[in-house]
Amino acid sequence: MTSTPMPAPGGTEPVAAAAEAPGDEGLQKGPLVTPPPATATGVPMIAIDGISKWYGSFQVLTNCTTQVEKGEVVVVCGPSGSGKSTLIKCVNALEPFQTGQITVDGTKVKDKGTNLPKLRSRVGMVFQHFELFPHLSIIANLTLAQRKVLGRGADDAGKRGRDLLARVGLSAHADKFPGQLSGGQQQRVAIARALAMNPVVMLFDEPTSALDPEMVGEVLDVMVELARDGMTMMVVTHEMGFARKVADRVIFMDKGEIVEDAKKDDFFGKPRSERAQHFLSKILQH
Amino acid sequence: MFSNFDIGVIASSLPYLFGQGMVFTVTLTALAATMGVAFGTLIAMMRLSGIPGVTHLAKGYVELMRSLPLVLVIFWFYFLVPYIGAWLTRSPTPIQVGAFSSALITFTLFEAAFFSEIMRAGIQSIPKGQTAAAQALGMTYWQSMATVILPQAFRNMMPLLLTQTIVLFQDTSLVYVLSLTDFLGAASKVAQRDGRLVEMYLFAAVVYFAVCFTASFLVRRLHSRVAIIR
Ligand SMILES: Nc1ncnc2c1ncn2[C@@H]1O[C@H](COP(=O)(O)OP(=O)(O)OP(=O)(O)O)[C@@H](O)[C@H]1O
Ligand SMILES: [Mg+2]
Repeated sequence: MTSTPMPAPGGTEPVAAAAEAPGDEGLQKGPLVTPPPATATGVPMIAIDGISKWYGSFQVLTNCTTQVEKGEVVVVCGPSGSGKSTLIKCVNALEPFQTGQITVDGTKVKDKGTNLPKLRSRVGMVFQHFELFPHLSIIANLTLAQRKVLGRGADDAGKRGRDLLARVGLSAHADKFPGQLSGGQQQRVAIARALAMNPVVMLFDEPTSALDPEMVGEVLDVMVELARDGMTMMVVTHEMGFARKVADRVIFMDKGEIVEDAKKDDFFGKPRSERAQHFLSKILQH
Repeated sequence: MFSNFDIGVIASSLPYLFGQGMVFTVTLTALAATMGVAFGTLIAMMRLSGIPGVTHLAKGYVELMRSLPLVLVIFWFYFLVPYIGAWLTRSPTPIQVGAFSSALITFTLFEAAFFSEIMRAGIQSIPKGQTAAAQALGMTYWQSMATVILPQAFRNMMPLLLTQTIVLFQDTSLVYVLSLTDFLGAASKVAQRDGRLVEMYLFAAVVYFAVCFTASFLVRRLHSRVAIIR
């Protein structure tokens, strides 16, 4: 592609010459979700209450307590092995925890009476390695759980799938297979797949850390738009640019503990723990 | 010995050899393979379930089947099944199962042990993240197995499942102990009747070799075709 703006067919508007693969329309305008108010509301969506977790005798999480309010975007960061993934996976019960309680939209995660598949179907999750289903086409990836879990008909599920695919700019790829897409495109599909379930909250576990640097932007763009549409989000990431742009709060974890849990401006401002300072100085270097 | 090699006896017995013998062999192989893979997959899932009693039961079953000669299992089943059937249905007399059904059940149960090991490897080869992704979308264990894990495991393991089926194809010749007539049995009968042992056994060997060699070749070709792009 050239770097000079070209006239759009039949119009005078210049087309941004983005370095994207053919058929990749980039991010489309329009909300990804029907937006609730785009600011924190004070209503807790996720309440994490004093949870601890052990792998055998090794304690991964120590008495973690925090909240994510409806419409809030919370970024979780910290050194490798500090328990970020474990914490976020406790929220939708992909990982069990021994003590404490997590409540998601009023439903207790650790409760005999809780229907876990049902709870999980309302919590979207995006993984570091995308985890698209490689034996299914892109559109089938988007419709499978809508049909099997939510019981939507093929037409409804297909329409919702195609709408979301258009929103993340990948309509042209509906009938391809995951292996034929770039990492950035796969991750955008993975986000669309989670959104197809109409989740009340989205969890992200290092969604850009497995991507080549030039693909990080396209995924972050989708996430920024999602945040601005008012989606409640809990995001494990080291992308501090993303945190500065859309986060309401930042949580810093170290050795299984929540060391710092502060409003974004406070976190990036002066007063904070030494460990968090040290961590920030290291990752902001590059 | 080869001086009076009579090709005519082969030619004249072809309709019998293939029309009956080979049809029987292929039918038994196809049915036992299908049922064996289904049952084997169930055993593999039991083995991987992580539920202590269930895991041990599956493991014990596989070990047992793998430690017994197939001929012995065929015999045992043939003589035992009528009594087990009678005991289950509280019938005073042994239930007649028939040689074919008995052979089919035996091959299914025996091969299931081998298929289960292949399927176990297949299921384990699917990254944990796939299960996590299916679960995170709200799928139950059975839904994620049926739509995400097993389809990928089957695809990945298809070459091995087919190779094992080729072994089964050869093993079905053991049904002679139940006086059933498969392809080899048919050749053998003609050989005895006409006193043409060399011709018939040589021909049988050539046919088994041709079928299995071709099948193996096709399996290798298929392997490169079905592999899932990751
Ligand atoms: N299944 C497991 N069994 C035992 N220990 C585990 C298991 N999974 C994780 N751990 C340990 O728990 C700790 C926290 O792991 P976790 O994956 O939550 O860290 P993380 O903060 O997400 O790190 P990273 O930035 O590398 O993803 C690590 O020390 C890890 O080795
Ligand atoms: Mg992690």
